[in-house]
Amino acid sequence: MKTQKIRAVRNLRLCSKDCLCLYVCPTGATDTETGQIDFQKCIGCGKCAMACPAGAISMVPYQYPKQQEKSNRVVQRLNTVLKSKVEQEHIAYQLYQNSSSQVEKQFLKAIIRSNRLLAEDTVREAGYMLPQSRNTHEFLKPLLDSKEEDFPKDIVNELLEILECNES
Amino acid sequence: MKKYVCKICGYIYDEANEKVKFDDLPDDWKCPLCGAPKSMFQLLEEESENIKEKNIENNPVVEEDMREMTYGELSALCSNLSRGCEKQYLSRESELFKKLSDYYDKKSKEKNEDNYNIDALIDKINNDLETNYKKAREISEKEKDRGALRIITWGEKVTLILKSLLTSYQSKGEDSFKDKKIYVCDICGFIYVGNEVPSICPICKVPSFKILEIGKEVR
Ligand code: SF4
Ligand code: SF4
Ligand SMILES: [Fe+2]
Repeated sequence: MKTQKIRAVRNLRLCSKDCLCLYVCPTGATDTETGQIDFQKCIGCGKCAMACPAGAISMVPYQYPKQQEKSNRVVQRLNTVLKSKVEQEHIAYQLYQNSSSQVEKQFLKAIIRSNRLLAEDTVREAGYMLPQSRNTHEFLKPLLDSKEEDFPKDIVNELLEILECNES
Repeated sequence: MKKYVCKICGYIYDEANEKVKFDDLPDDWKCPLCGAPKSMFQLLEEESENIKEKNIENNPVVEEDMREMTYGELSALCSNLSRGCEKQYLSRESELFKKLSDYYDKKSKEKNEDNYNIDALIDKINNDLETNYKKAREISEKEKDRGALRIITWGEKVTLILKSLLTSYQSKGEDSFKDKKIYVCDICGFIYVGNEVPSICPICKVPSFKILEIGKEVR
């Protein structure tokens, strides 16, 4: 069982490969074939993050603090925004399906993407910031009772199993 | 000498430093910083206007508690959680939420509505700008919810830009994209049409490598 509270992770986009973290790590956790740091070996000492010239390593907690409580009124108002953005994404999608112009399709694709990002941001602020939150767990659990034939219960089961909950 | 400010990115067109009066700029002139059209500029006056705007009447919240989420909303909820996991380097969790999101996305796409056209989009956008965001801002200010306020501010700007792009598309058709590329900021959703991507997103300030080009359809 791990006792430390943090571990190192590497942002592969920023990493310029093969340098200082390999030398400073006392456990060899930074030296892997996948490019990601081996969290089994990492003891959370932080040496790699301090040495990395590319700012590619961050120390992340194993347990996140509870997400900020949201007031109901804010959540309700954000939900109206969410609803509208999702509807816009859907309209743009249908226009996209029915369009035969390359340029128009490209524009509609941008609109779909943009609305999805707006919807994601909105729902995040409406109580779904942390995947480890109680909200997320309470959202997932009832899905197991879904009546839809094709519903992927195995996905939900696995998520409930591997995803920690940081609020009791 | 007057000053005009871009409602999107805050760029100031100060006639004192420019050769051309703002009113004399051509109609297709664009904000040099974020590409917003001329119509997004506002005369910079001393505060008075803003105070009036702040006092929108106190709308009671319509009780809408625990309504069922639509498939589309469920999909966005799951893709948001997928991104949340990705940020924490929880790759398996991220992948699972993505799959769940895709499942709901597919479900949502099975449903067809008949009222889809550009006007329907613009109507929703107007409703967002005039009602949804305004009310959300009002309540978030009262509750001092900074996170909510930030995404409302970004969202309003992204929506304004989208509105102006749609309006210009309606009047000029595909000419409004002629010889231009289309990009979307992967963080805030800002749509940029043009050839010189700003070095940071004018709305959320991420560096340009997060502003992604939307490719042409190849078929
Ligand atoms: S935090 Fe310490 S143990 Fe973990 S990878 Fe970095 S240097 Fe190695
Ligand atoms: S020190 Fe930083 S840049 Fe160098 S290999 Fe390690 S993570 Fe990559
Ligand atoms: Fe952005």
